[in-house]
Amino acid sequence: MNSIDIRLRKIQKEKRIGLMTHVVVGYPSLFETVSLVETMERAGADFIELQIPFSDPLADGPTIMKACEKALRKGVRVRDAFRVAAQLKKKVEVPLLFMAYYNNVFKYGVKRFCTDAKKAGVSGLIIPDMPIDEEHGEHFFAACKKNNLYAIRVISPVSTIGRLKKNAKGAKGFVYCMARQGTTGAQKKIDPNVVAFLKKVKEVFKIPVAVGFGISKKEHVDLLKRQVDIVIVGSAIIDAINRSNRKEIAKSTQQFIESLIKVPR
Amino acid sequence: MKNHGHFGKYGGRYVPEMLMPALEELEKVYEKVKKNKSFQKEVHYYLQTFAGRPTPLTYAKNLTEKLGGAKIYLKNEGLNHTGAHKITHCIGQALIARMLGKKRLIAETGAGQHGVATATVAAKFGFSCTVYMGETDVYRQRPNVFLMERLGAKVVPVAFGNRTLKDAVNAAIKDWITNVDSTHYVLGSVVGPHPYPIMNRDFQSVVGKEVKKQIIKAEGKMPDYIIACVGGGSNAMGIFYPFIKEKLVNLIGVEAGGKGKRIGQHASRFNGGSVGVLEGFKSYFLQDNDGQIQKTHSISAGLDYAGIGPELVYLRDKKRMQFAAVNDKEVIEAVSVLSKTEGIIPALESAHAVAYALKLAHTLSKSKVIIINISGRGDKDLFILARAFKDKNFFNFLKSQLSI
Repeated sequence: MNSIDIRLRKIQKEKRIGLMTHVVVGYPSLFETVSLVETMERAGADFIELQIPFSDPLADGPTIMKACEKALRKGVRVRDAFRVAAQLKKKVEVPLLFMAYYNNVFKYGVKRFCTDAKKAGVSGLIIPDMPIDEEHGEHFFAACKKNNLYAIRVISPVSTIGRLKKNAKGAKGFVYCMARQGTTGAQKKIDPNVVAFLKKVKEVFKIPVAVGFGISKKEHVDLLKRQVDIVIVGSAIIDAINRSNRKEIAKSTQQFIESLIKVPR
Repeated sequence: MKNHGHFGKYGGRYVPEMLMPALEELEKVYEKVKKNKSFQKEVHYYLQTFAGRPTPLTYAKNLTEKLGGAKIYLKNEGLNHTGAHKITHCIGQALIARMLGKKRLIAETGAGQHGVATATVAAKFGFSCTVYMGETDVYRQRPNVFLMERLGAKVVPVAFGNRTLKDAVNAAIKDWITNVDSTHYVLGSVVGPHPYPIMNRDFQSVVGKEVKKQIIKAEGKMPDYIIACVGGGSNAMGIFYPFIKEKLVNLIGVEAGGKGKRIGQHASRFNGGSVGVLEGFKSYFLQDNDGQIQKTHSISAGLDYAGIGPELVYLRDKKRMQFAAVNDKEVIEAVSVLSKTEGIIPALESAHAVAYALKLAHTLSKSKVIIINISGRGDKDLFILARAFKDKNFFNFLKSQLSI
């Protein structure tokens, strides 16, 4: 059984919304990446995306783009992501997922990437520019399956029913829905059309639904609470890190995450 | 199985889900209009009455005699409206965008030629227009920024990455992801996700079709060599495509050798590049072992793309075409030679093809025929050329303009 399923069961049992948070590996530094993930787990994250920095992150807005650029300038390598994940696996229980662009996976070698990810204790991969349509030449989804890694499908509000069905086939864990059409980045408001989109998704996908892109406040989380199983927060956390004094990154991150999911007890 | 834009293992459509519906729709509409006579007629109408097709194939008599080898012909695409071959696929794509009900065109541009051509068709066919251009290129090709703005387009300088063509493509894709309902992305080369490489190649293949007729008329036979510069590869695929089945015609693509062989000093994908996936397609890219895209350099803003059209790599693998590279110095020399011997000032991009021909022609017998694709004219390179030729009087003139 994949640890993503175990965590999903726990969330359902506790009748609450799950939270997936995000770090860029090597931002602000490799050392801080490790401590940030530990902090995120303490603050209540259920899943954590470790984004491998890429020179040309197509689906990312300015916040994550800049974080990638800075990490790469410091010399962060793809192999560092595996090292960080393996190190974390000894320290945290929260399921870890790699988020990466396909070129990094392809150059590393698809098979080798998947076996090394498994060895490092990673539970799933989110590769937004590796569509199911190219599987015949890449054998990426097959390699994930072989290594018990969940290849998380990312779908968008403009996805047609046909595309949703294509993606739903063989999908495991949860489905990653974009709350709006655009690149990643914190927004003031959640697009009200998201509710209709999520309804469409739930008719097609029989697995839990996660929503990301633009989520940055408790009111966003509250709005989505009844619609979805997991909320995903990425750029907003990096924004909080950037606002914070370097020495207080852990504290600011913890406070920010708690402010998103705090429930009156 | 249906071909989804694959050329052997290259090409394809490696994009996030949010772009899939738009690309599928574009493909569907393109497949339909491709066979539609009235659409083809309309494209042809604007190519003739607006863009100025057909462009001439000019016998370069002086240059041929000077080099004393093969007979040299120039396909003068610089005589197109807006100064280069780019207007051809822009007209085609604008007509498709109208059919898709889009209101806005966006484009990336390196040298500015594709940006100017997109801004031009936007004005002509009533679209609003935004063009993304790397900050470095805005500086290098400032006259084209001026022209795009006069044509009513908004030019957005891209201040991330290497600040050149690749980054402009990234910025345009991000815009398209956000505004896909209202916007058509006029991708300007034979790169990107399917159907762009095929669609732009088809539109540009009018160049090769014209050349075929023109050279038969002039020489009564096929050429022995066709030489074209290759950034993304739109002018090269355009002139090569109708000749692919003519096995005796040597097809040569010329890459930007820049100022050295080290990574970062050139844009020759076949010198240090490897297979990768970027900006929606699989091809050759200048990248490190991790797959991070590397810096490039060329004196010409239109050739410094880190990747190359997938079909060109496929043709190279199949040994149907060869690649060469020339350096910045040879390119400047080629501009000078062609201008003075033939009265044609080529764009710095096209001068790469000229520079290679200068090395090749004298090694061939007089019975051989070379065709060089002069993909654009050199007006846009005024400032780069003025500096390269150390034209003091021109800079004094610029100073005097500032004091008015």
